[in-house]
Amino acid sequence: PPRACDNYWEEFKHCVSWGNGFHHYYTYGTVPSCQQWKNDYNDCREWEERRSAEAKEALLKSERDRVAEQGNFTPVWELRKEPPGDWHLPLNQEKPQDS
Amino acid sequence: MFTSQFKCEIMLKLAMQTSPYAKLLLSAMNSSGCKVIRDRHFACEDCDGSVSGGFDVASSQIVLCQNNIHQQSHMNRVVTHELIHAFDHCRAHVDWFNNLRHLACSEECVRGRALRSILAVRKISAEEAQKIVDEVFDSCSNDHAPFGRIPHGSKDAEFAYRDHESRDRYNTNL
Repeated sequence: PPRACDNYWEEFKHCVSWGNGFHHYYTYGTVPSCQQWKNDYNDCREWEERRSAEAKEALLKSERDRVAEQGNFTPVWELRKEPPGDWHLPLNQEKPQDS
Repeated sequence: MFTSQFKCEIMLKLAMQTSPYAKLLLSAMNSSGCKVIRDRHFACEDCDGSVSGGFDVASSQIVLCQNNIHQQSHMNRVVTHELIHAFDHCRAHVDWFNNLRHLACSEECVRGRALRSILAVRKISAEEAQKIVDEVFDSCSNDHAPFGRIPHGSKDAEFAYRDHESRDRYNTNL
């Protein structure tokens, strides 16, 4: 499975915790929905212990949905293809800094 | 007597070793081709005013204001904050000086704090700043890189760090 099964359970417990609910409500104005983590945990165990094909599919779909949701925005800036060329240059080759 | 520079160096080391936010950012930067070397990319200095630190794009260096950081928790926050700027600089073409949208995005995406940061850094009117922050808010607040989530507390940060370390397993299994 993409994650260790216990991870899903820990995410579920964290999701339903008071602290997380507070932050979620403050940020989004809604209570968080946590059931999916629990479902994922159960599917993960089914997959590992009983090699259930349905559980595997359900879990993979759930994770793919998660990934898709995260990519759902237009970036504000253009991503680089390579890291900045001057990142590793030694300091005395850089432009002089203000003190 | 411990000089403020010495204390700053110690707190910096501790932040890099123990803060899950910092550790995740360091690891993400490493993967992005911007490996962070403490002696090269961090500098403890005395600063004017009450500023805690800054990211100097020209020298690719994070400045920590040793005269203004006195507690480890503060150091952890400053290191994390500046590493986020460095990370954004590493992965994107951020126009720090001319593009206020970029600046708004790289500052914390809680509206109020982004607003105050922009006003502090650039002399523009409050309405202009508010307008910019509103425009970029939806886009920026969905960009959780490299955390994968909004880390409200250290538990979030620990989970984010764990996910980041296991990302190979995650990606191959999808």
